[in-house]
Amino acid sequence: MKAEYINPFIISVTELFESMLECTVKMGTPGIAAHDDGVPDIIGVIGLSGTAQGTVALKLPVKTALKVVGQMVGTKFKSVDSSIIDGIGELVNIIAGNAKGRFEGHKISVSLPTVVRGNIYTLNNIENAIYLSVPFESKLGNFSLLVTFKPNEIMEKEAVHADSHS
Amino acid sequence: MRILIVDDSQIMRKIITGALKQQGIKDVVEASNGLEAVKLVTADSEIGLVLMDWNMPTMSGLEAVKNIRAEGITTPIVMVTTESEKEKVIEAIKNGANDYLVKPFNPKDIQAKLEKFLQKV
Repeated sequence: MKAEYINPFIISVTELFESMLECTVKMGTPGIAAHDDGVPDIIGVIGLSGTAQGTVALKLPVKTALKVVGQMVGTKFKSVDSSIIDGIGELVNIIAGNAKGRFEGHKISVSLPTVVRGNIYTLNNIENAIYLSVPFESKLGNFSLLVTFKPNEIMEKEAVHADSHS
Repeated sequence: MRILIVDDSQIMRKIITGALKQQGIKDVVEASNGLEAVKLVTADSEIGLVLMDWNMPTMSGLEAVKNIRAEGITTPIVMVTTESEKEKVIEAIKNGANDYLVKPFNPKDIQAKLEKFLQKV
């Protein structure tokens, strides 16, 4: 996956936290997503289809998820309930939906989000594409954005053609 | 004025309700998909503004807008959605939406849209 494909998603995360959560985020060094680290997480996952295929996931330790959703609605949450699950789904929906508009020339649709809770899982997709993982720090806690993004072959050829003429 | 919030996310409905309360608006009804929205708008003539998400199960916001307009109902509808592409905005407006607010937003953005439509009432 080309690094440039991750930028629209990073911008979306930053804007989302600043506008809806009144919280700045500090991005760490992106890398290849590692396997489960044993910490109980909540993951919001959403699929991309159209002129590019991919998956966007927002991975938060439970503690961070409680604070983030609490900040969204001005409530303190002590445990994971349907509001937390719903809130994380909405966050990943906003990140993916907002980012897809930043890919010029693409027509991308997003699926409805799915939220998974647990600590023994591996994110895979059909073509075994590698997930790029971007860690973030914030006053609400640390979290990660995981993205795999692959333009359709025609779109990739057009991009190469455009590059060679620029 | 009664406002209908249509969003499949319960948290998003809470956020919008909170922003409306800050503006002194407490008369709020909710729907979690487009079909529920069409039924509510058709049955309740007191609804003066609809804040409509786009991507929802059962019936999308766009389909709901089409259905509401097909019933001859002229209640203002503001799309509140992550769909930010220009073509999407045009598609929504062409099909009867009156305005557009892209997520993410802050309460002030909702309040600004509200003021615009409150002035018209």
